[in-house]
Amino acid sequence: MRAFLAGARIQIRFLTAYPDSLIPFFTAPLFTIVFLLVFKHAGRQDLTPYAAIAPVFIALWWLALFNSGWTITIERWNGTLEMLVAAPSSFGAVIFGRIATTTAIGTVSFFEAWLVARLFGTPVTIHHWGAFVLTVFATLAAMAGTAVGMAALFVLARNAVTFSNSASYPFYVLGGILVPVSLLPHWVRPLSSVVFLSWSADLLRATLDAAPIHDFWPHLGMVVLLGACGYAVGLVALRVILVRVRESGELSTT
Amino acid sequence: MQAGVAVDVRELERVFTPRKREPVVALDGVSLTIPTGEVHGMLGPNGAGKTTLVKILSTVLLPTSGTAQVLGHDVVEETRAVRPLIGIVFGGERGLYTRLTARQNLEYWGALYRLSSTMIRQRSAALLERVGLVDRADQRVEEFSRGMKQRLHLARGLMGDAKVLFLDEPTTGMDPIAGREFRSLIAELKDEGRTILLTTHDMVEAESVCDRVTLIDRGRVLATETPRTLGTLISRFQRIDVTGADDALLAEVAALPGVSSATPQVDGSTRIEVSEEGATAVVLRRLVDGGVTDLQTSLPSLEEVYVQAIGERGLGV
Repeated sequence: MRAFLAGARIQIRFLTAYPDSLIPFFTAPLFTIVFLLVFKHAGRQDLTPYAAIAPVFIALWWLALFNSGWTITIERWNGTLEMLVAAPSSFGAVIFGRIATTTAIGTVSFFEAWLVARLFGTPVTIHHWGAFVLTVFATLAAMAGTAVGMAALFVLARNAVTFSNSASYPFYVLGGILVPVSLLPHWVRPLSSVVFLSWSADLLRATLDAAPIHDFWPHLGMVVLLGACGYAVGLVALRVILVRVRESGELSTT
Repeated sequence: MQAGVAVDVRELERVFTPRKREPVVALDGVSLTIPTGEVHGMLGPNGAGKTTLVKILSTVLLPTSGTAQVLGHDVVEETRAVRPLIGIVFGGERGLYTRLTARQNLEYWGALYRLSSTMIRQRSAALLERVGLVDRADQRVEEFSRGMKQRLHLARGLMGDAKVLFLDEPTTGMDPIAGREFRSLIAELKDEGRTILLTTHDMVEAESVCDRVTLIDRGRVLATETPRTLGTLISRFQRIDVTGADDALLAEVAALPGVSSATPQVDGSTRIEVSEEGATAVVLRRLVDGGVTDLQTSLPSLEEVYVQAIGERGLGV
């Protein structure tokens, strides 16, 4: 827990020192405008929940993924990665603390996106507040957990930032963030079902609908389960990969 | 665990296998024992294996074979036990978060060493004072000079109250005054009972702060001795610098048994080097009998030992 908090505290300081890493706060409102106007032009105001949720998910996932890649890259550039690994605290817990903090701060994009929606005459209403709050928490935890798994891969990559930038797009598609999973080819759908984003995006959209939410708890359980699996796999992968780079001597390789 | 042993390295070997290139032997059967409380210098040219050894001892690199222990804990099998006991200071500009302040850097590392909030505040303040950065504590590190960064590096390495410190060329970039202050800081750390493994290119530094020095080259230990004893490895005997002797006398002295050379120096003096025990006394007597009064005897410096032991390649460090 202490390692997690140490990671969280330093991340707040880093975000202040590197404000460019908060760029999704500028892009989220713009994405919202684009999506809202496209749906409005097509006469599909019923898709407003997609327009309201997609930019937030893009912002949150980008923050989680980019920061996991950025964290590893910056540590390498700074020459601190080796010292971080050699410190008594768990490397995985520190990284988790850092990514979780960034992702939590990313919830600001909810307010941004929905404020823009209101300004454009399509206010977003949360009909199931309890379900909404629980889903947001589960989603944030799952994002941070999965991003730790990605961070393990980034330790292996020479340029993790480039990798993390491009790695976000497949998740947008598989997660059904903007395009419903039901529109994807059949053979892709099984992949979507193991991406936690698809479950949490469905749930969040459902909380904006006045109709009762079907199978809320099983869906929420899937978000938590897949996020926990991502974190567990990430920790194991991190351990294995750290042993591997200690063997190969590539830990500090830039 | 051997009593009183801080670092115990046995037949340590490390081979790097770069892709599509020949394997590189960085450490080739290195054995080394450093008693608790010793300041031990590692002296060698670039690529000698100094940093590789430090990285293995600090648990960030695995050896290919052999064993290494820190305070009785194996650096491969018992990393959790080793890490709280060690502090690492890698030299150069890197190793710090430059957009954070000096205090923020130290506080972060304190947290990673599982210190309480109170302890983090107290220790970071004390260390900033100790390394002379208290007035710059809340300034971003990117505004620091190289020397200031090096001092902050050292403070960071001490945040965890390490029993064993690995200092990898810690005075790189320090000006002479900062270097002198650094050396007195090393002496203080030794007085506190810490063990220090210091890699350096600086002969004066090694000579002035190290209890013993290991000369290493191409992954092999050439010698481990006190700086003074190492000096005698090359020339067991004194050198004599003579001023005011005429050429005939110098020629006569140069022909004496045990005299290996008589070399004119740029300042007009002549350096006479002997290669046999007892020859110094004979040379001195002959010079005094010849009316020479301006002469000086000395032992070779560690730098001469280093260059002699490692050869011309040592000059390129």
